[in-house]
Amino acid sequence: MTETPKLTLDFKGLLCPMPVVKIAQAIKQVQVGELIEAIATDPGVMADIPAWARSTGHELVTLEKQDKIFKFVVKRLK
Amino acid sequence: MLIFQLLALAGLAAGLFGIYLRYAETKRRALPIDKSPVKGNIPHGIAYAFTTGMMPWAKESTRIHLIAYLRGIGFHIGIFAAIGTVILSPLRGFLPPLLSSTLFWVLILGALLGAAGGVMRLAEHNLRGLSLPDDHFAVWLTTLFIAVTGLGLVFEAFVVPMYIVSAVTFAYIPLGKIRHCLYFFFSRTFFGKFFGRRAVFPHPEPLK
Amino acid sequence: MTETIELALKTLEAQLNQPLETALEACARCGICAEACHYYRAEPKVEHIPAYRAEQLRNVYRYEHDFISRLFPVWTRAKKLDETTLANLTEIAFSQCTLCRRCTVNCPLGVDTPLMMRAIRAMATAGGTAPEILVMLADAAIEKGNDPSFYKEMFLEQIADMEKQLRDITGDENATIPVEKQGAKILYVPLAGAHTILPPAVVFNAAKEDWTLSIFEASNYGVFLADVNRAKQVAKRIVDEANRLGVEEIVISECGHAYSCYRWDVPNWFAGQFDFKVRSLIEVLAGYISDGKIKVDPTGIPGSVTYHDSCNLARNGGLLEEPRYVLKSIVRDFREMTPNKAEALCCGGGGGIVALAEYAERRIAAGKPKADQIKSTGARTVVAACENCRLQIGDLNEHYNLNIHVTALTDLVVQAMRLPKPLPGMEAEHLFEGEQVEAPR
Repeated sequence: MTETPKLTLDFKGLLCPMPVVKIAQAIKQVQVGELIEAIATDPGVMADIPAWARSTGHELVTLEKQDKIFKFVVKRLK
Repeated sequence: MLIFQLLALAGLAAGLFGIYLRYAETKRRALPIDKSPVKGNIPHGIAYAFTTGMMPWAKESTRIHLIAYLRGIGFHIGIFAAIGTVILSPLRGFLPPLLSSTLFWVLILGALLGAAGGVMRLAEHNLRGLSLPDDHFAVWLTTLFIAVTGLGLVFEAFVVPMYIVSAVTFAYIPLGKIRHCLYFFFSRTFFGKFFGRRAVFPHPEPLK
Repeated sequence: MTETIELALKTLEAQLNQPLETALEACARCGICAEACHYYRAEPKVEHIPAYRAEQLRNVYRYEHDFISRLFPVWTRAKKLDETTLANLTEIAFSQCTLCRRCTVNCPLGVDTPLMMRAIRAMATAGGTAPEILVMLADAAIEKGNDPSFYKEMFLEQIADMEKQLRDITGDENATIPVEKQGAKILYVPLAGAHTILPPAVVFNAAKEDWTLSIFEASNYGVFLADVNRAKQVAKRIVDEANRLGVEEIVISECGHAYSCYRWDVPNWFAGQFDFKVRSLIEVLAGYISDGKIKVDPTGIPGSVTYHDSCNLARNGGLLEEPRYVLKSIVRDFREMTPNKAEALCCGGGGGIVALAEYAERRIAAGKPKADQIKSTGARTVVAACENCRLQIGDLNEHYNLNIHVTALTDLVVQAMRLPKPLPGMEAEHLFEGEQVEAPR
């Protein structure tokens, strides 16, 4: 990934649905085409963040698990 | 006198017809059939809603507002006693004195409790904020109805006013707030069905 | 009339059945419901009286349905619905009422104010004024049901990791978390996240239950929107999964609204396609303990414990005695809050409000009566069998310095099972931190 995220967020310790709620709020703070990077500890994000991206029309650029941390990058598309 | 009696009767007929129309209107609406498996007992829930569940100690609200609740109960007893009295009024000369004087005091007390409710609606901040013009009118109209009915039992001079006020009160029942008397039965029945099905009321026994 | 108003009014008409019309007509405006509401208790003002909130919808209803109100609107404060009124109604229904039904049980007429608040929520959802976060969460859940393949692989990886943790905790090398097991007796539906999968997995394994884990989560944001169409789509995922696997029973995680949805609503939405028994995990725990299927130490929880009744589980769900039976089987010092059970105070976290950041301040303020109630028990552990309640009580803990530990019922049961290792976050020294407790016997 070459682009630099506009926002970096920490959702560690937040349980469902808070990571999705927070990312939905944060996406409004960036411009179309910009990225948000976030980390979370709730494994629920592995299903919830892709589902949120699909239902809202934003792009899930990456989603990976690093030990007990889930790291993901989303791009605002509209 | 007959003409005033007929006026009251016409008021009663109009009120009953109006209430019937309201009833028919509500019954015309869909009644959702609940297919979820019953956990408790629906008939017991309905019975609770109309009996134990109406007792002053059954609810936190009526425990907190015990005086207001009892005032309301007394006022409503007065209303039903007044309706009975008006219906029986052609026979008032034949009523046993004990019944007459009991009715008189029940009605006077009911009217005083109604007036207290009317004053509370004006004086108490929350009640004033909640009340509609319709509420103020209804409580004073009903209070007047109970009072003149009581007085009409004892004083001949109040008999004609009794029939006039009765006619107005009866006719107003379906038009304004007083029609909650009909919805009370719907509401408590739905309450009993809902909480009875879910085993919330009557209170379940602790598990052993 | 704008499209928004037209849709909102159409939705009101569509919902106007006997119970709703009764709720709209029965109120005598006596005001004794005031203290039943936690919003009023926290901030006593007319606007916080349940009857006042309901009046805001009644004003609209009267304008549409009462000829006296049409002729003399001032007589009953009847009001034609417009954008401002709808915005006000939306705010009331989503931020000043958690649908707890405490006002209903305290009303001498039994007026179902939450039914009216639901009607408003449905009007707002149809008109497009409902909180967008709730709409988004419901739509995301529907998306997961449309195509679970995009996360299934990751989900199974996560379960495999959790299985290792399960074996470590139980010391049982054969302990498993079966997923999509055909013909299993129980389909267990968790919430998103390990904390609602691992503890029940411990219990199911100990009870030697024939179970399987759902790949979906139990929560249903369509319910909070009072949008039956969305709520059905969310629920359909589980209904289809249960039918596909041929299970006998669906067990719902410790979640208030999900239990209410699957136990009381889904059988109506899917009549004919749904003949599963639905139980809460709480009932399952009570059954295992009573049947001796799991062994718990009756003194396994030595600290002081109180139980918060979730409104959806208790007053609206009938799960009043089951959690108490479980707690009394494992807790040495159990303390009831006053009032409790059907009269319990709402914590302020229901109705979807925990997901609405814009109302966080209001939510925390409305939780003050619950915080005071918890404080007066003196208990250090608060058990709540609902995720939204736990989130709210956790926030109340922080805001009002309650110095408590908030936990799920299952976690405490697992603690009392005396397994080789505790669940994460349930280490005794953490759970009973600062409390003078006797060591478990």
